[in-house]
Amino acid sequence: MSGSSVVERVTCLGCGCTCDDVAVEVRDGRIVGVTPPCPVGRAWFGDGSIPEHVLVSGSAAPIEAAITEAARLLVESAGELLVYLGPDVSAQAQRAAVALADRLRAAVDSATSEPAAAGLLAAQRRGRAAATLGEIRNRADVLMFWGVDPTQRYPRYLSRYALEPAGTHVPAGRAGRRVISVSIGTDRGPTGADVALEVAPEDELAALSVMRATALGHRLGELPERLGAVPDTALQLTTARYAVLVHEAELSAVPRSPHRTEGLIALTQALNGVTRAALSSLRAGGNRSGAESVLTWQTGFPMSVDFSGGFPRYSPGSRGLERLRGGGFAAVLIVGSAAELAGELEARRAPVHAVVIGPRASEAPLTARVAIDTGVAGIHEGGTAYRMDEVPLPLRPPLPGARSTAETLGALLLEVRARLAERSG
Amino acid sequence: MSAPARLRIVGGAVHDPANGIDGEVRDICIESGRIVSALPDGAPTLDARGMVVMPGGVDIHSHLASSSCNHARRLAPEERAADPVPAPALLDRTAPARSGTGGTVPSTFTTGYRYAGLGYTTAFDAAVAPLMARHSHAELDDTPCVDGGIFLLMGNDEYLLRQIEAGEHARARDYAAWLLGAAGGYAIKIVNPGGVEAWKTGQRNVTGLDDAIGGRKVTPRAVLEVLADAGNALRLPHPVHIHCNNLGLPGNAATTLASMEALQGRRAHFTHLQFHCYGGEPGKGWSSASAKVIEYVYTHPEVSTDVGQVMFGPAMTITADAPVEYLLYQSSGRRWTNIDIELETGCGIVPLAFKEKAAVAALQWAIGLELFLLSEDPWRVVLSTDHPNGGSFLSYPALIQLLMDRSVRDERLKQVNPRLLAGSALADGLSREYTLNEIAIVTRAGPARLLGLRDKGHLGPGADADITIYNRDPDIATMFSTPRYVIKDGTVIVEEGQLRRAPAGRRLRVAPGYDDAIVPDLRRYFEAYSSVSFGNYPVAGLPGEPVAP
Ligand code: SF4
Ligand SMILES: [Zn+2]
Repeated sequence: MSGSSVVERVTCLGCGCTCDDVAVEVRDGRIVGVTPPCPVGRAWFGDGSIPEHVLVSGSAAPIEAAITEAARLLVESAGELLVYLGPDVSAQAQRAAVALADRLRAAVDSATSEPAAAGLLAAQRRGRAAATLGEIRNRADVLMFWGVDPTQRYPRYLSRYALEPAGTHVPAGRAGRRVISVSIGTDRGPTGADVALEVAPEDELAALSVMRATALGHRLGELPERLGAVPDTALQLTTARYAVLVHEAELSAVPRSPHRTEGLIALTQALNGVTRAALSSLRAGGNRSGAESVLTWQTGFPMSVDFSGGFPRYSPGSRGLERLRGGGFAAVLIVGSAAELAGELEARRAPVHAVVIGPRASEAPLTARVAIDTGVAGIHEGGTAYRMDEVPLPLRPPLPGARSTAETLGALLLEVRARLAERSG
Repeated sequence: MSAPARLRIVGGAVHDPANGIDGEVRDICIESGRIVSALPDGAPTLDARGMVVMPGGVDIHSHLASSSCNHARRLAPEERAADPVPAPALLDRTAPARSGTGGTVPSTFTTGYRYAGLGYTTAFDAAVAPLMARHSHAELDDTPCVDGGIFLLMGNDEYLLRQIEAGEHARARDYAAWLLGAAGGYAIKIVNPGGVEAWKTGQRNVTGLDDAIGGRKVTPRAVLEVLADAGNALRLPHPVHIHCNNLGLPGNAATTLASMEALQGRRAHFTHLQFHCYGGEPGKGWSSASAKVIEYVYTHPEVSTDVGQVMFGPAMTITADAPVEYLLYQSSGRRWTNIDIELETGCGIVPLAFKEKAAVAALQWAIGLELFLLSEDPWRVVLSTDHPNGGSFLSYPALIQLLMDRSVRDERLKQVNPRLLAGSALADGLSREYTLNEIAIVTRAGPARLLGLRDKGHLGPGADADITIYNRDPDIATMFSTPRYVIKDGTVIVEEGQLRRAPAGRRLRVAPGYDDAIVPDLRRYFEAYSSVSFGNYPVAGLPGEPVAP
């Protein structure tokens, strides 16, 4: 049984590109090859081994006992509970988790990062002009990278979607596209661009305003010399057939202007008066857009929802993890990986009861009352995940068979309902 | 506590126009989710004496479960914050009662509950990009109480445009069939044929049926013809569902009539007709052209329509007609979302309000009512507000009141801006009042028939036991907004006006046959231009079976 097999068309959640064309080679229950060899994807798949423990207070327990104990704890903490959606679960698991939060009058929040959240809020103020990644491939003749080079964190963004491939309206591929690389201080644009523009961080918003004014056809007054090249760059956009602006929507090493995304949205919208334009927001791996999508259709809001009043309340100004850090909540249900929460829980002084259901729950950096190891969505578990452009894709797990996150949450939901029903009479 | 498999609804005045029953007092018998002709004595009964019994409502054109709806929900959080909806008190404790939010585009569970609360048991989302069908099905999974389906956007599809340009009409038909099966769709939808592709190319829009689309040798006329023929040749239960070119522009009635003439003799459904019935000229003012258009509809039995009534109040414009949304953004100065969807279509969203004091809104309101009141065949001119574009589905009872009660309508007419109403039939005085039977036709029997839903929209033996029972009330809006009982598949889900059960709805979809020879070509096309693998595109694991042709 040492022959290997290859699973085709696997969807990778290593970054928000969510490439669905990956071939994964499996031998003896381990992943031994990933094609094409994207470094981030390779690291994300790893060898596919995960722990398969079920722990109650740190000791091995039968799954039924763990579900019972988790339900008991969660029902006891109803109204003072945070449900946290980690990035590595399917939309099906997210739906079950939000159902639990609703039933338990919990607050629910996701792995949507601070900058991504700021982007969502900007889009709620203005709307936005966007496109699916294939549309960028098929139409973009001018690409402006605003303080980001996708190569490191989104390795196949340029080769698969934005730059190199031929498209319906760009048959020549790279040769048919013009690249504008904008560097904002240390946030560098890509090398090898047709046009490079340097903007000091303190001039960033002014540069965006100048570009927007150019797109709107406003007369510009005298510009400081530092911004002298900006109107010409804007002209490259206004004379494009289909301009795409690309920016980093996630955390980066150096803090950046919280108004950047709003400025880019306004510029993209303005460009649509004279030509066509779309903003492409780079999102990190896992099913982050899925959490926002599920929360929106089930509650009306994309993140930071509080059910404590018996209905969804939007509280984007006080995110779940922030409240947890500040001592809020008696308990937390972590769905998915708990790794990102280690710091939050360390910063908190008051104890919190935790139930962790997700990949590597048993290795979570916290003392969980209940920890149930499940599979990683896309590696061990099927379902749906959303790409950075909110296109839903099927997951084809190359190593199926681990305990399912969605089904475990389903069992927990049944147990919670039964307990609540008992309680109310 | 499970619902009885048998139920006799006793003593109600039954309005079942599909079976020629107009208010006769008779019993309706239900067994195992279907209507039967008789039940043994001693079967459980539901006392409907003094009440009005109709089939469950059928919404032929709504926007309730799509990625576009989700973009709209996200765009206006203040609407949802202003309309919190606690979970209903369901009887069956194991059923998942869910809280949510309302506004013009409610969250999914709330959408299902609110449709049921109005006595509607079937609803179609009329505009889904096939690429995003997986999302729509997930939303429908979370929309209880109603049977649901989706119409697939094809009128600006790259592969179709290529086949039409090459004269490959059989291949275009095979593609439509493949797409319906792959995405779990129910009908072919055309939105602004060629206009959305024009928007994406920079041509910005097409202006009429014979414009070239994005520099190709394809016209909107050809798109209409090829897809109408495909729908009819595939014997789809619902013919091609058309949103014409030039939506919302003065003078567009000419385009609408030209589109109908282009398809003369072919079955076709023209949607939200109100938005396509304007006289006048761009830049030179507006008028009503409803009389001319409705006359054409009446004399051409192959044409059917829904009205797309505008109701005063908040609305959310959500459409694949992205160039129209850009114009709305320019004129309203409000928030605007635009999403270009590769190879298939677009999506535009602008929040809006229709105000009595605005002359154009008043004209739109009047034109919608004229279409209803001048219509001589209610079976082919059915009710919609293009929810939430012309107003929420929650305004259907108020619309029914306007149709049934002339005094209410005339009062309302006095409050609206009269500037553009000169020559309008409504302003000149239309005395017609819809009967209960006509309401039953435009809200259930008619849409069900147009959708080819043989087991819905009527109460004859074999029909799905989807039934709404109203208390009579002199206030028609009250009567229709608070049904006393609603029965879904034989289960009483609304009792004494309260939602008590929320079963999952069924999925309505088709899977027509096609010539396999198309597959290798499609695979090459996907490999060349799509960002999704060909093998990952079809939606797997859909609930239920496709509807038989
Ligand atoms: S680019 Fe991202 S999604 Fe694509 S293979 Fe690499 S890590 Fe995976
Ligand atoms: Zn519509």
